[in-house]
Amino acid sequence: MSEKLQVGTETVELRRQGEGQPLLYLHGGIGDTDWLPVFDEWSREFTVFQPLHPGFGESTGGDKLDGMEDLVFHYIDLLGALGIEGSDLTVVGASFGGWIAAEIASRYPHLVRRLVLVGAAGLWLDEAPPGELFGNSPPELAALLFHDLQHPVAAMMAAVTDVAQLPEELIVQQVRAMEALARVAWNPYFHNPKLERQLRRVRASTVVVWGKEDRFFPVAYAERYAAAIPGARLEIVPDTGHLVMLERPEAVTRQLCSLPR
Amino acid sequence: MEFYFFHLMPWPHLPAEYQGPAWIRCPNELYDPERGVAVYNRYLDELVYAEQLGFDGVCVNEHHANAYGNMPSPNLIGSILARQTQRCKIAIVGNALPLYNPPLRVAEEFAMIDVISGGRLVAGMVVGGGPEYYSNGLNPAQARERFYEAHDLIVQAWTRPGPFVFNGKYYKLRYVNPWPRPLQKPHPPIWIPGAGSLETMEFVARRRYAYMGIPYFHRRVFERNFSFFREACEKEGYRARPEQMGWLCPIYVAESDEAARREYEPHFWYFAKRLLPGIETSPPGYTSVRSAVKLITSRSDFLLFVDTWEQVVDGRYAIVGSPDTVVEQMIDMISTLGVGNILALLQVGTLPAELTRRNMELFAREVMPRLRAWEQQRRAAAA
Repeated sequence: MSEKLQVGTETVELRRQGEGQPLLYLHGGIGDTDWLPVFDEWSREFTVFQPLHPGFGESTGGDKLDGMEDLVFHYIDLLGALGIEGSDLTVVGASFGGWIAAEIASRYPHLVRRLVLVGAAGLWLDEAPPGELFGNSPPELAALLFHDLQHPVAAMMAAVTDVAQLPEELIVQQVRAMEALARVAWNPYFHNPKLERQLRRVRASTVVVWGKEDRFFPVAYAERYAAAIPGARLEIVPDTGHLVMLERPEAVTRQLCSLPR
Repeated sequence: MEFYFFHLMPWPHLPAEYQGPAWIRCPNELYDPERGVAVYNRYLDELVYAEQLGFDGVCVNEHHANAYGNMPSPNLIGSILARQTQRCKIAIVGNALPLYNPPLRVAEEFAMIDVISGGRLVAGMVVGGGPEYYSNGLNPAQARERFYEAHDLIVQAWTRPGPFVFNGKYYKLRYVNPWPRPLQKPHPPIWIPGAGSLETMEFVARRRYAYMGIPYFHRRVFERNFSFFREACEKEGYRARPEQMGWLCPIYVAESDEAARREYEPHFWYFAKRLLPGIETSPPGYTSVRSAVKLITSRSDFLLFVDTWEQVVDGRYAIVGSPDTVVEQMIDMISTLGVGNILALLQVGTLPAELTRRNMELFAREVMPRLRAWEQQRRAAAA
């Protein structure tokens, strides 16, 4: 299921499974970079593509990113390299990946038929600034990203009291990934000040799914996204934190399947 | 050999109840401006006093949003010293170039200080510590690229006739033409601190600048780093001169070893345990991946992770004792490291004014002359 693809001058690590119209899953900074069980369900209806962003896994180019625009162009190039540009494309983006998805859908409205935004970055609200991702320990990150601290991934993160004890391979991966994120999201912090007013261009059938207890991007962002994208529906999932794809993936599946085909 | 009196201008009044880091998010409510009046002015008095005591120079540095060092603008301090001292060098070590927008400002302010002081500025240039990238909003992943480009802009601004165009990746200026120009030719000497990155050393060696070892490491780290620096100079085809190497060390001199430890220790721990925490913050992209991993996995040689006085002494994290002890330990360190600029940190943490002054006086009167004599002898013997 895992393959490597040349996209421009860079290499992309990509997982692909299923048959049917393409679904591009754009992952977030932490937690959903593995092939999630819910993708097996989705791949009954779609060909699911999960590329890893530059700097993540074996995808190169994370140290060359200079802003969100570079990532948008990278993904347009990826669509071309996969031969799915101009197809009946569904994009599901979570967290940082949700920001990328919103940018693609607003800049290239004709390319995206269906859009699912899950706890998406990209906007800024003075009254609800996003939580701090950088510079935090794994236990602090678990508290930021999860509502259910008993979730196995949350528990695993909370148990890492000394990063130095982790296998070096893992530390390297984390360092590379955080650098890639910082190159795009340091300042303006995880958002594009101009995005909100561009969202009116989105033509995709859109649903916004958010955890009510999201501490990274509070639920006010869900309402803002839903209000700004023409015709967007909104589902707020109770008792759920930022990582909806880990805590309540069935909510995302339900909304994904409800979009007109 | 030259002796510099280095001041960090720390905040000595952190309340006991506050146990968090001193950097980035240390609430600035804890800064009491009413007490700050006395704190700043006392520290300035100490810097001026250093010249009277015979130090070759004074050093200040730049840090933001923290209790460890209250000089977000070291150039303000440098300009005060330009008027309040007459002979000593004024080493601003340094301006965190990427934090200036545009960095031409550094060229301008340094030129002002150099002219006003009659050509006494040492122009230190730094990337800016990891915490500064949280405090100032600059992207840490751009830090080093910006630093090198800013350095180029500043040196060109000092040496190329203006107006000229500078079209960099980060800094694009169509009329670079700073008034004033610095007095020293070709420009004030440039010092660049480093914590061991080969890239920095190669850069300093190639430009024939001076390399300053970033402090608070075990002696073996300095030994290794200065050795690498000398190699870097060899690769450039010349032998590193001692005045190209600066070593910053906390020092305390008293009548006896026992008195020195007794008087100094609590203040040193305030510095190491209350003011240092947070300094090690390394934001994403700030260093290469390899360096970042090394930073995470090998912590033991840094003062932040030292817990006993024995470790402090063995590792030479500080040199503390009677004049004889201090002279002996410094001769050992100086001959091992081969450094020519001794940056003496004679005030740390809560060390009060009386003890600071006495420390400065004992160092200047009992230690410096003997080290200078030792150096003379060594030169004579080599000749």
